[in-house]
Amino acid sequence: MRKYTPKDNVQGKAYYTDRFWVAPRVPRQVVEDEHFKAVVEALGERVKEAYVEINNLVLHIDATQNYAVLETLKDTCGYKVCSEISAVDYLAKEGEFEIFYQMLNLDKAKRVRVVCRLKKGLAIESVVPLFKSANFAEREMYDMFGIKANNHPFLKRILMPDDWEGHPLLKTYPLQGDEFASWYEVDKIFGKAYRDIIGPENRDPARIERYDTKRFSRVGYEVSFDTDISGGETKTEIEYSSTFLTDYNTGTKQLDKRK
Amino acid sequence: MAQHKVNYASNGGLPVALTSVDKLLNWGRSNSLWPLTYGLACCAIEMMASGGSRFDFDRLGTIFRASPRQSDLMILAGTLSKKHAEFARRLYDQMPEPKWVISMGSCANTGGMFNTYATVQGVDRIVPVDIYIPGCAPRPETLQYAVMMLQKKIRKESANMKKNKKQDLRLV
Amino acid sequence: MQVTNKLTPFFENLNFERDDNMMVINFGPQHPSAHGQLRLVLELDGELVTKAYPDIGYLHRGIEKMAENMTYNEFLPTTDRLDYIASTSNNYAYALAVEKLIGLEVPRRAQVIRTMLLELNRIISHLFFLATHALDVGAMSIFLYAFREREFAMDLMEDYCGARLTHSAVRIGGVPLDLPDGWLENLTIYLDKLPQNIKMYEDLLTENRIWKMRLEDVGTLSPEDAMSWGCSGVMLRGSGIPYDIRKEEPYELYSELDFDIPISQSCDSLGRYKLYMEEMRQSKRILEQLIKMYPQTEQKLMAHAPQYISAPKEEIMTQNYALMQHFVLVTQGMRPPKGEVYVPTESPKGELGFYIKSEGEPYAYRLKCRAPSFYHTGLLQEILVGTYIADVVTIIGSTNIVFGEVDR
Repeated sequence: MRKYTPKDNVQGKAYYTDRFWVAPRVPRQVVEDEHFKAVVEALGERVKEAYVEINNLVLHIDATQNYAVLETLKDTCGYKVCSEISAVDYLAKEGEFEIFYQMLNLDKAKRVRVVCRLKKGLAIESVVPLFKSANFAEREMYDMFGIKANNHPFLKRILMPDDWEGHPLLKTYPLQGDEFASWYEVDKIFGKAYRDIIGPENRDPARIERYDTKRFSRVGYEVSFDTDISGGETKTEIEYSSTFLTDYNTGTKQLDKRK
Repeated sequence: MAQHKVNYASNGGLPVALTSVDKLLNWGRSNSLWPLTYGLACCAIEMMASGGSRFDFDRLGTIFRASPRQSDLMILAGTLSKKHAEFARRLYDQMPEPKWVISMGSCANTGGMFNTYATVQGVDRIVPVDIYIPGCAPRPETLQYAVMMLQKKIRKESANMKKNKKQDLRLV
Repeated sequence: MQVTNKLTPFFENLNFERDDNMMVINFGPQHPSAHGQLRLVLELDGELVTKAYPDIGYLHRGIEKMAENMTYNEFLPTTDRLDYIASTSNNYAYALAVEKLIGLEVPRRAQVIRTMLLELNRIISHLFFLATHALDVGAMSIFLYAFREREFAMDLMEDYCGARLTHSAVRIGGVPLDLPDGWLENLTIYLDKLPQNIKMYEDLLTENRIWKMRLEDVGTLSPEDAMSWGCSGVMLRGSGIPYDIRKEEPYELYSELDFDIPISQSCDSLGRYKLYMEEMRQSKRILEQLIKMYPQTEQKLMAHAPQYISAPKEEIMTQNYALMQHFVLVTQGMRPPKGEVYVPTESPKGELGFYIKSEGEPYAYRLKCRAPSFYHTGLLQEILVGTYIADVVTIIGSTNIVFGEVDR
């Protein structure tokens, strides 16, 4: 029977996990800081959940209210820098994306992460009118996850080529790319007819071709460059020079003085 | 030439050196390899360092040119991504013959540690490569050694490029 | 002998022939002063740039995707290739994020060594900035001088970790090696020479008429724009906003060290250049304090956390339990607790932060690298508009972007 591999998440997985092992959780603290309390109060009912996790205030909000929340944060709470926008793919488990906005208050040196969940296929409101840094960040989010931002001035692929297929950071996208990705440069430069001439990509870093004497040689069976060895090669004994035969086990030579 | 005692009077008033056209042309080609400033990634920094003050590439006659039309050596220094592959080929096409390619660093040789969707697994899928330099990133000395190896290779070649038997004809 | 290929003339979709006296030019991706693989499409009215469109992604290598397929320790050498001019700052930012996630305290000697390496990397990076920026603007000799200086710093790095460019000198939980014999003496010699060299560069450049004409009031960035575009580091301080993460949100030993944050109110390229020069002096100051701190520390380099960090090699060789732990950590990888973390650090380019989402697996569920250069590249589409075509390279050089970081 062929081994079952889930199709909805093809990323690296632990090959062995103790069945009684329960992952601990990073402690989530109650909001106690004065400034953070004021932030939560200013946002009022729009905050579904608020806690402090490793020096960051995390605010869970509804995806439809992201613009209003960020506007309040910017205007009344002084979070004038949006340092990061990106998403996390939870399609396999929950069928939604988690989008986070990492905000920074320059005067108080405090950071807030605004987190919202977005169902697959829905679009989020762009925050470019508030923060210009969202321009590139949302384009990257679209490129990597396929999450569209409404009213973005120029929503286009940014890191991948325009004619690329698929969104690479989705969990369903394999690390080494799909069929389209593996032939992309050959198709683009030489055309599909050249696929046979150039051949498939070598994705195995340890692959050795037995009869390739251009790139490989066999110890004891060395032949000159690019000789045809399909008929077999002759063995040449290895000759060791006696000067190189130093026994490192006997001496007290210390190679590194650091220890 | 000047070391030999030349009888200027009997040789038409000029010192004479006999050589073959092959040797003369290859001497010229190998000692004035002008690479294209084509930094792709990390290795480009080492390429700059080898052109910089300590390693001084100029003493090999290797002067970086910014235009592919003026250069005859392409040093592919760093990761070639799939988006960029097209441009690498374009630049290679724009270089005048004869031209040589050095693939610098593991990423350019085989894709190296970036065994991902976005990286070309070896630039020899795009352009024919003469010298591969291993390392991540190779030291400037390695690059200079590679250029010296390439000079050796050029000196062995025939000046008539059509006569040279290309081992790998699938990409020329 | 040319093989015909399918490549059609590029920019078929770009309309070069225009009715309105505008010219569209393409800049890069192979351009000697594009600092890597930046492609800019510029729309020009005469010599004035009316529209700029930065096109990035020519060095996209899928590093964030790799992080989802690698254990935490495996991924560390990959961070070298992000900002390849100052590798240790990336290693450090990543290691710090993971340490925060698992709640680890690093031994004091490791902290001292890490801070030393960070500051040495800052000097290397700033010297590189100076070299390339001056080369772009037209001062070739500075390139040669700064590269000479940089090579000495690289030698120090090489002495410590064995690599010139890709250091991997910081590990999760500490540093792998103690400083070699005589390293601090060499560092002191280097630092003694540094101020006179910086002074020489400043003598050559700061009051140089051509340099001033090329840089003064070029690439002006108002504080509001700097904040809105998510600028950080020198770009932010160059616009008069005193925000340095080392001071405001201190990590490692920076809270104990005495140093100043230079700010420039001029908001232009010249001001930013002056900040870079001053920051090198401050780095020197920090390093001198660290040299004095080093002998007072105990000889312990890695944190003791058998669940996450392998024991020192000597213990692995002699103690059974340490060997078992090491085997599990190497074959399966460490499993940090569930949770998410975002830790900012002040890299030479700006705010470098790693967002890590852990699901309790040995593989990160999501890793996002907040690269300063990415946002500085986004800024180009606004800052270039209204400048002359000759200033474009000055502004690109002044933003100090590195493409390994932009495209990841």
